[in-house]
This record gives sequence, C-alpha cells and structure tokens, in this order.
Amino acid sequence: MPQLGSFTLLLGLALSVYAFVAGLFAIVRNDDRLSETARRAGIAVFLAVTAASALLVYAAFTNDFSVDYIRQHSNRALPGAYKFAALWSGQEGSLLFWCWLLATYGLILRLRHKVDTRLVAHASVVISAVQIFFLLLVNFAAHPFALGTGTIPADGNGLNPLLQYPEMVIHPPMLYLGYVGMTVPFCFALAALIMKYPGEKWIHITRRWTMVGWLFLTCGIFLGSYWAYKVLGWGGWWGWDPVENASLLPWLTGTAFLHSVMMQEKRGMMKMWNMWLIFSTFLLAIFGTFLTRSGVVSSVHAFAESDIGPYFVWFLALTFATCAFFFWRNRSHLESEHKLESLVSRESSFLFNNVLLLVATFAVLWGTLFPVLSEWVTGHKVTVGPPFFNKVNIPIALFLLLLTALGPLLAWRKTSAESIRKNFMVPAIIAVAVAVALAAGGMKPWVDISYFYALMTIMLSVLVAATIGSEFIRGGLVIARHNSSNVFHGMYLLTRRNTRRYGGYIVHLGVIVTMIGFAGVAFYQNTEQELSFGDKMSIGPYTLVCRSYTQDDKPNYSSEWAILDIFKNGKQIDTMYPEQRFYKASGQPATIVANRSTIMEDLYLVYTGKNPENGRPIIKAHLNPLVWWIWAGAHLILVGTIIALIPNMQAKSRKQSPPDKPRSLSDDVAERRAPVEAGTD
Amino acid sequence: MRIAPKMLHRWAMLLLFASALLLVGASGDRTGQRFDRLGHNLMCECGCGQVLLECNHVGCSTSEQMRQELKLSMARGDSDEVVLAGFVAKYGPAVLSAPTTTGFNRVAWIMPVVIFLAALGAAVVVIRTWKRRAPRPASDPVGAPEELDEFRRRAREETKL
Amino acid sequence: MIALLQMQATPPDGTGGSFLIFVAVLFAVAVFFYIFKPSRTEHAVEKTRLSFLYERKEQTFENLRDLNFEYKAGKLSDADFSSMRDSMEQEAANILAEIEQIEHDTGIRQEVTA
Repeated sequence: MPQLGSFTLLLGLALSVYAFVAGLFAIVRNDDRLSETARRAGIAVFLAVTAASALLVYAAFTNDFSVDYIRQHSNRALPGAYKFAALWSGQEGSLLFWCWLLATYGLILRLRHKVDTRLVAHASVVISAVQIFFLLLVNFAAHPFALGTGTIPADGNGLNPLLQYPEMVIHPPMLYLGYVGMTVPFCFALAALIMKYPGEKWIHITRRWTMVGWLFLTCGIFLGSYWAYKVLGWGGWWGWDPVENASLLPWLTGTAFLHSVMMQEKRGMMKMWNMWLIFSTFLLAIFGTFLTRSGVVSSVHAFAESDIGPYFVWFLALTFATCAFFFWRNRSHLESEHKLESLVSRESSFLFNNVLLLVATFAVLWGTLFPVLSEWVTGHKVTVGPPFFNKVNIPIALFLLLLTALGPLLAWRKTSAESIRKNFMVPAIIAVAVAVALAAGGMKPWVDISYFYALMTIMLSVLVAATIGSEFIRGGLVIARHNSSNVFHGMYLLTRRNTRRYGGYIVHLGVIVTMIGFAGVAFYQNTEQELSFGDKMSIGPYTLVCRSYTQDDKPNYSSEWAILDIFKNGKQIDTMYPEQRFYKASGQPATIVANRSTIMEDLYLVYTGKNPENGRPIIKAHLNPLVWWIWAGAHLILVGTIIALIPNMQAKSRKQSPPDKPRSLSDDVAERRAPVEAGTD
Repeated sequence: MRIAPKMLHRWAMLLLFASALLLVGASGDRTGQRFDRLGHNLMCECGCGQVLLECNHVGCSTSEQMRQELKLSMARGDSDEVVLAGFVAKYGPAVLSAPTTTGFNRVAWIMPVVIFLAALGAAVVVIRTWKRRAPRPASDPVGAPEELDEFRRRAREETKL
Repeated sequence: MIALLQMQATPPDGTGGSFLIFVAVLFAVAVFFYIFKPSRTEHAVEKTRLSFLYERKEQTFENLRDLNFEYKAGKLSDADFSSMRDSMEQEAANILAEIEQIEHDTGIRQEVTA
C-alpha cells in the first residue's frame, strides 16, 4: 500500500506540472481545447492527492508500521479519531494534508470556472505552480510514505499526548484551511494583474475567497488558543510563541485587506496597495509555514528540525520575484480613479486602519525574527517574549479599537462635523460613565499599567458597542420609516440587504467581546498547594476541599486525579477532577485541566503531580476573570463573518438591471451579478 | 467643515496628555507583585520556551530551582537590576523574556516606533496626494449635455431609496 | 513512472505487488482518459467594454443608493449631499451614455460573435 501512496503522489506531481505547462501554453496560444485539458488535469490532481491522503490514513488505521511516518506518529491503542489526526500531526503528513487542501481549493476554483473562464484559467495556472511546489516537497523532501529502516516494530511510538485532545483534531485543519485558503485570493490577484483584468469584478471574487480563508484562519487561531488554555495547563491562552505569531501575521494583513478592499470596490482607490496586501498575506502564510518547520526560531510547538527550510526560502523568493515583476510591468493598470474628498471620511479611516494593522504585523514579525537578527549581529541570542509583544501591541490594539468606534460614524467621501458630534456624544458619555464606574469599583488605572490598559480596553469596547448599536438603530429607523414597519424589522432588513456591512459590524462586536475577555488578564491570580484528604485551599471567593485522590489504568495511558469539592460563600457548588495522565507509547505525561467557566471568571485547576516526599497531590489553582468572553467573542466573529458571506437580498423597490442582453458573456451574467451586488459596502 | 479637524486635534491632544499622565503615575509597584513581575521578565531555561512563572510541565526541576534563586535574590534585598543581572550572568542574555534597552537590543524597541511614525507620515502624504489627485473617470462623457440630463434623471430614478 | 513504481514496489508477497500495479495503472489510465476525453469546451472570451460598463454602472448606482441612505441616516449635510449626488450622477450618466452609444453603434447581435 505505501507503494501505491508513493505512486499517487508522483502522479499528482506529474498532473500538476501538466496543468501548469498546458495552462500556460493555452493562455499564450489562446487554445480552448488545451485549456480544458489543463483544467481537467487540475481536477485530477485532486483525485490523486485525495487517494494519497486516504492511503496514509488507511496505513494509520491498519497499523502499517513499515511506513516510518506511521511508526513515529501512531500506535495500536490510539483511538480512531486520533489515528485520523495522525495525518496532520507530523511534518510529512501535514505537508501532504496541505497539498490535499490546496488541491481541494483548486478543485472548487476549477469547477466554478464559468464565473469568468479567462480569469479562472489564469488563476489555475498560478495555483498549479503552488501545487507543484508542495508536491515536490512531499515527493522529494518529506515523503510521508517513506519506509522505516530495520525490522518493522510491533507497535508505533504513539502520538504526542499534547495532541490527543478533541480540539487538536480540529484546530490544525482549521488553521491549514485558513493558510491554504489565502492561496486562492493570491491566485486571483496575480491572475488579474497578469491579464490586466478590466474592472473590479476580480476583486469581488477575491474578497469572498479572502473572507473564507480569514474565517478559517480565525477559527484556527481561536481553537489553537482554546487548546493551549485547556490542554497546556499554564492558565493562559496566548504566549506570543513564534508559531502563534506565524498564524497571526497573515491574519493581520488579511484583515487589513478585507477593509481596504472596500476602497477599491467602491471608489477604485488603493489598487496597488490591495494587490500587495494579498501578495503579502500569501507570502506570510508560506513564511509562517517555513518558520514552523525549518527550526529557524525556537518554539514550544515547532515541528522537528528538518531540511525543508531552503525549499521554502527559494519558493518565497521566486514568488516574490514573480509578483514584483508583473507588478512592475502592469502597474499602470492599477491607477486610482477617484480623489479623496475629505479627511473626515470612511476612506481615511480605512487608511489609518491599514496603517495600524500593518504596523502590528511588522511588530509581530520583527519581534519573532529579532532573536535571529541579534544572534547574527551581536553573536548571542536574546529572547523576545510576551513582555515585548504586549508592550508594543496593546497600544496599537487600543488605537484600532478607537478607530473601530469612529468608523461607523463616518460616511463615504465626506461626513459633516455636525453629524459626528451628534452621533458620537451619546456613545462617548456611555463609555466614560462605564469607565468611571469601573474605576470607582476598584479598577484604578493609576495603580498599575495593566489596570490602565484593562480599563481603556473596556471603555473603548463599550464605545464601539455603542456606536455600532446606534448605527444599527439609525439604519433600522430609516428602513422602518420607508417601509412603515418597526425598527427591529428595519434592522433585520438592513442586515439582509447589506450583509457585508452589517455582518462586518457583528464581527466588530465579536472583536470587542473578545477584547473585554483579554482585559481580564490584568486580574489573573493563582496559587499552589499540597492537598491531603480533607485539606482546604482558597482562591478568590472559592474554597477547594480535597475529598479524595485516585488512579486508573487504561490501554493508552494511566492516570491519577484528585476529587475536589468547590465551595463558594459556604455553599458547595461543584465537584472538580483535575487529572494527570501518563501516555504509555510515548512515555510522556500530560495534564487534564479541570475548568469551571462562568461569565465572570474561570476556576482553572491543574493537578501538577505528587510531592515525592509524602505522596500528596499538589494542586495549582488559577482564577481567571472574563475568559468566557474570549470564546463568546469568537462565536460572534464566526456568526458575523458567515452573515457577511451571504449574498445580499434585493430591496423590493429596486428595479432589476440591466435588461439581459444576449452578450458573449451571457453565460455568466447571473453569476456575475451576485458578487457585484453583494459588494455594496 | 472648518471645525472638525481642529476639534479632532484637540481631542487627540487631550487623549495623549491623559494617557501620558496615567503612564507616569502607573510606574509604582506593589511589593506583593514584585516576584510576579520579575518572574515574568525571565524565561524558564529547561527548553520549554515559556516564561519562568508559566513553565508548568510535569516534574520540571529547572523552573523550580530558578524560582528559588529568584526568591533568594529578592530576599537578599537586591534591586531589580541586580536580580536580573545575576540571572544573565548565570544563564546568558536569553534568560530575559524581553530585549533590554541597552546596546543593540535597543533596536528591538525602537524599530516598531520608527515604523509606526514612518507609516503615519506615509499615510499623511498619501492623503495629501489623494486630495490633490485629478479623478480618472471610468467613462468619458459622450453625447450632448441635454442627452446626459436624461441619463442623470434615469440614474436618480433608479437609485431612489 | 511505471518503471519507477516497480523499482519502489518490492512487495512482501508477489500477488499483492501485482495487484497494486494493476490498481495504479487503472487509476492512471482513468485519469488520462478523463483529461483528454474530447468534450464541449468553454470558449474563453475577452471581456468587452460593454460588460465592463455594466459592472461600473451597477457599482455607481449602488454608491448612489448608499449616499441616499447615509443622507437619510443623518451623516451628511444638505450641501454636501447635493454636491456629491450631482458629481456621482454625472459619473453614472456618462457611463449610461457610453453604454447606449456602444449598443447603438455595434448592435447587440454583433456582440455575440465578437
């Protein structure tokens, strides 16, 4: 079976090369027949890579330890879901998984080629080139079906225990869907640039694909931090680790793009900038993969060091050169169409939004790479850890929040000072009132810088919520007056008719809910204590009483845990079971955190092991306020993005336009119109 | 339109002053938090790549030992600088969780600020060019002005709310 | 490629090996048949000026609707609104005029064969 896997990988590579070369010739010679074979070859790549992935999963399920990858990342007693997850648990498998996702995106792109045949033909040449690179990697640098040396062992080394959690089954696919998803907008952008695509339709297509990629990336990042919180047991959810930073970089530029793209759609401005934002997003996604897998920077969860680094460097250089070349050649195509009417406008707020997001991108990238630079310049490594990133990024985030609050109040082109004053007054009063109340309630900003930041974050979040709320109500009232219905129906119609803008506002609401969750960090506390039967420990308003501790033995792991009764205000409210496991195949321990989450605070208990002298368990308790808000905000972001992806509903009064002419493009008129009308923000 | 930039400017200045004041005032430190603060300025040297106080992997003897050293040094009455310098001397400069503000390490802190200011400057330049720019319409006027009136009427009719 | 496969495939038992080769060849043949099978091809056309103008018209109209909406929501002064509406209507009118002209000059039918 591994041989068949190797064959399908080679076949996939050959087909990708064909799709690339034939696609290229078809474009140059304007040969439709050849173009169709290239398209089909692209679809066949999907079949080949799917077969390869299926064969690797099959090898995991049949415990085929002759394959080195399976030997390293699985064992007989591993539960089924985790055997499936073995596909993306190691270097070779995850690269194959990457190939498969890319092939899947390529499949969707090629199946939907009627959207714009010529544009898709160009885009699929670009995506084939990317596919060739990744298939070269799995075929020649990190072969997932490589056979192990020596005799075939009876059992494998098992999956890293840190990865044996349900969140971990879903987190990497989400993140990869996001990373790989950023390839599609890149392909469309480069294609549009190469063919000097007339008009902005390509940007409607690209924007939707970016939203899809952004959605997955966001989910992936949040799932990752949820996993870190639930599994790593250190009581935090973000550590500014290079790998986390790597996922944040394309997210930041992608976010910047999703905002500035509106300038291009609506006003024909910032075309060059947007082009480079997409290019950077893709390059950063690849760069992130390179960081994670090459061992350039040390990280908590980098893959084992390997020699695939140089491949990535060459690919990045080649991609950059290609982008720069076509940009230079066709830059005149990207000239702006409109001028800026006023500084006080939506346009300038988007510009500053982009400035801040890009500065944040730079700061994260800079901090991640500074150790490498420092070692190169001064000869010794330094650490750039959380204190650096927090100091640099928190002020940027606060400025961004302020812009988020102001943005909705600004109209396109020009906004009257009168209206800003009028619309800003009530939200500002509410926000300041909340801040004063919190300061009076003990959140004294002059005591500690972290309190100051927390207070500012909450105040600005309230401000954002208030301006968005008033924006919904104002818009709802306009529609309600027009339709003579009530304001809620008006708000509903508003959202249906302009899903992107109001979905976007819901995303902003999600962001501020998350931000409020982040602000809780200022008040985290923890304590550690040895607990024998009947012993008590207290943290905040909670008292923990040790009822018992015990142990168990399972095929995959052995475990011990404590049974703790939780009291609050003298009343028992819960029983919690912090646990520690010892995985047999890998010989590694892992903690299972017991967490009791409420809207106000999390009680987070870790069983840190037994005191070797007296055999008593040691419990570490964390009290983390407002963590619940982080995950709640993530859900809201998810909902908002999905709403933004739904096409707009037409107002009844609106006439259908234009009368469908039997034009040469008539095939795609219907499909063409949908994105155009969706792009009304 | 005259008032708006002025007002924004005033507000921005006020905000800046307020935050500067607060930052100056916020530099005090509570004694109970000193261990916590210093512990977050150090990395665990066991290879886990975590901040000292957050290294939690089971049976890590390195972090336990380092925490004891920190407590010891604090109990000796050492100043923050001396405590951290002691760790640097023993474990090397990578034990600090963030770059210092001396030597080449200053570059780490300066660059984000420089980039921020440069980007802000660039944005201002861009806005100025945008305001001066002559629009490049998608379609040049064709036909007589009175003919265009009819089209204008049609546009208004079709875009009524 | 088949040769390469045979080199790699040194299966533990002979029957399994030949079965694998059979599957591989079958898969490859099916794929090649799928790719080169003659079928109706989509004719890729250059985008016409007309369809570009229709796109622009839609966007300009959308901007106008949005302007109306923002005005009703109270974000624009009367003077700003009317001056911006005028300039945008001018833009829309230019586009409509050019559409009309192209459709008049070329005749719609010719577009099909273009």
